Amino acid sequence: MRNYDDDYTLDDLLSPAHQARLLELLGKLSGAPFLLSENNDGTSEPIEFSLDTLGWLQAELPTEQHQAAVRLYELVLFYAGKYRLAANLHHDTTEASYLELQQKHAAVQASEEKYRQLAQRLTQQVEEQVRVIKKAQQELYESARLRAVGQLAAGIAHEINTPIGFISSNLRVANDYLDELEASLPHNHEAVMLFEDFHALLDESSSGTKRIARIVSDLKTFSNIDQADFAACNINALITTACRLVQAEHHQVLPINLDLGELPEIPGYPAKLSQSLYNVLDNATKSLDTEGHIRVVSRVKDNILEVLIEDEGCGMSEDVLARVFEPFFTTRDVGAGSGLGLSVARDIVVAHRGEIRIKSRLGEGTCVALRIPVN
Amino acid sequence: MATYSESTNKLTLKIVYYGPALSGKTTNLLQLHTLLKPQRKGEVMVLETRNDRTLFFDMLPIGLHSEGGLDLRLKIYTVPGQVQHDSTRKAVLSRADGVIFVADSQLSQQDNNAFAFDNLASNLQKLGMDIERLPLTVQFNKRDRLDAIEEHNLQVRWSSTPWAPLTLASALNGQGVVESFRQLLGRLYPAVDAEFSLARDYAIDSQTFMRNLSAVGGLSNA
Ligand SMILES: Nc1nc2c(ncn2[C@@H]2O[C@H](COP(=O)(O)OP(=O)(O)OP(=O)(O)O)[C@@H](O)[C@H]2O)c(=O)[nH]1
Ligand SMILES: [Mg+2]
Repeated sequence: MRNYDDDYTLDDLLSPAHQARLLELLGKLSGAPFLLSENNDGTSEPIEFSLDTLGWLQAELPTEQHQAAVRLYELVLFYAGKYRLAANLHHDTTEASYLELQQKHAAVQASEEKYRQLAQRLTQQVEEQVRVIKKAQQELYESARLRAVGQLAAGIAHEINTPIGFISSNLRVANDYLDELEASLPHNHEAVMLFEDFHALLDESSSGTKRIARIVSDLKTFSNIDQADFAACNINALITTACRLVQAEHHQVLPINLDLGELPEIPGYPAKLSQSLYNVLDNATKSLDTEGHIRVVSRVKDNILEVLIEDEGCGMSEDVLARVFEPFFTTRDVGAGSGLGLSVARDIVVAHRGEIRIKSRLGEGTCVALRIPVN
Repeated sequence: MATYSESTNKLTLKIVYYGPALSGKTTNLLQLHTLLKPQRKGEVMVLETRNDRTLFFDMLPIGLHSEGGLDLRLKIYTVPGQVQHDSTRKAVLSRADGVIFVADSQLSQQDNNAFAFDNLASNLQKLGMDIERLPLTVQFNKRDRLDAIEEHNLQVRWSSTPWAPLTLASALNGQGVVESFRQLLGRLYPAVDAEFSLARDYAIDSQTFMRNLSAVGGLSNA
């Protein structure tokens, strides 16, 4: 496409048909034939348009007539040219306006896209912040809970230790007195039965106080009263403690099999690790029906310390499995559990650079693996 | 943007009269056509007007044949000054080698002058040209008007711009028209010479350029 201000050829301005018609009319007017050619053959006159020679008009005519024909031709071209120029300018302008419109459109789209991305980024940032806040909240909740349990345990330990101390020593002394009493009395059948029973009562009470003492000591370990911070942890000891606590809560009827391998001590937060072991064990016991076993295995494999807690309980569906790490997700009745169990356990293990893996099959049981890298 | 055609050895330059509506661009062009006696001069094409106002453009072709064989053409255009014809104005302005800005001296028209000058700058920018580097002459027309803004004031105001001194004209009376045109040719020549080596390759020095394109009343009169 030419620009409106390009130079024009004869054909640009006048169609060949009109050129021929014009020559024919000129011929009829002057009585002599006209010929239009591209070059001067000596008897031709130039036809000019806007200082350009567009062709040569040849005729056997007196100069004046010949020139008049040329001027007439030029006059026609002049008006044809005006139309051509205006039309082409119009075309140029329209095209330029359209182009400008397209560019503006593209610019608008680009800026729309920019804002869309910005909005997306903002949404992401907000979601990220919400996650951070939720996690912080959960940690706060958990640490507050731990602190409360710790304080409670410390109080109980303090209050119980002394009476338990004198109860158990009193029971021992009472046992001795009973022996003396038994020796000094005549032996008849009734008395023997009575003393036997009496001894049994005192022994049972004695072992009861021992159990109380152990629970108190476990509570102290669990709540980290003795070891507030980072320390070398004996994971097997922590497992044992956690098991005893769970047992205590379930009235000692739980079938837990321990298969503890030789483990190196690992640096960590003992109280927190206990908490995570406890949480997983607690879930395992709650999944059990009347029968079924829990197996706890500890071992080191490929520089990873692994604690497996397996149950033969109800198991989980895939849907549930996908959500178990969500804070506040629980399958138990409201009030029966905070739902924080597994997510807290995971956070603790992750804080020790480890991970938790869960395998589960509905109706068959669950295996939770706590994996912490050694060194 | 001058266009050179090797096959015909033809160099075409484009000059555009720009300015607010009714400032006298068309009058300038018609006067040029009447007053100039350049080596070659074509017909003025007044394309389309309504009540004296340009709708598309006016165009006057002039030219010279140099001794070096160069066919040098100058196409002189006017744009429509009315605000609404901006896209036409921009199309006519495109590829201009030089601009004569015709301002209206009437006191009441100073806002329009400023608006049109801004419009020139912004259209040049849109077309990829820089107003600071384009050969440009600023003419204050209608000096014959009684309410014409005072000359000393004008010159002082424009003295610190690249376009000083202004030219003054009364195009209606043919005054200052050729002078403005010559000032532009003077500013145009160095740019064209730098690009096309007019003096070296075609024996067109500044004087030849001026004389052949802006003679009045016969070549000897230049
Ligand atoms: N008094 C006076 N009037 C002038 C002068 N020059 C032009 N005019 C008048 O101003 C009016 C507009 O002149 P044009 O040359 O058509 O103006 P224009 O700049 O081409 O206007 P547009 O085509 O609309 O942009 C006409 O009536 C001219 O006669 C001048 O020097 N003095
Ligand atoms: Mg006009």
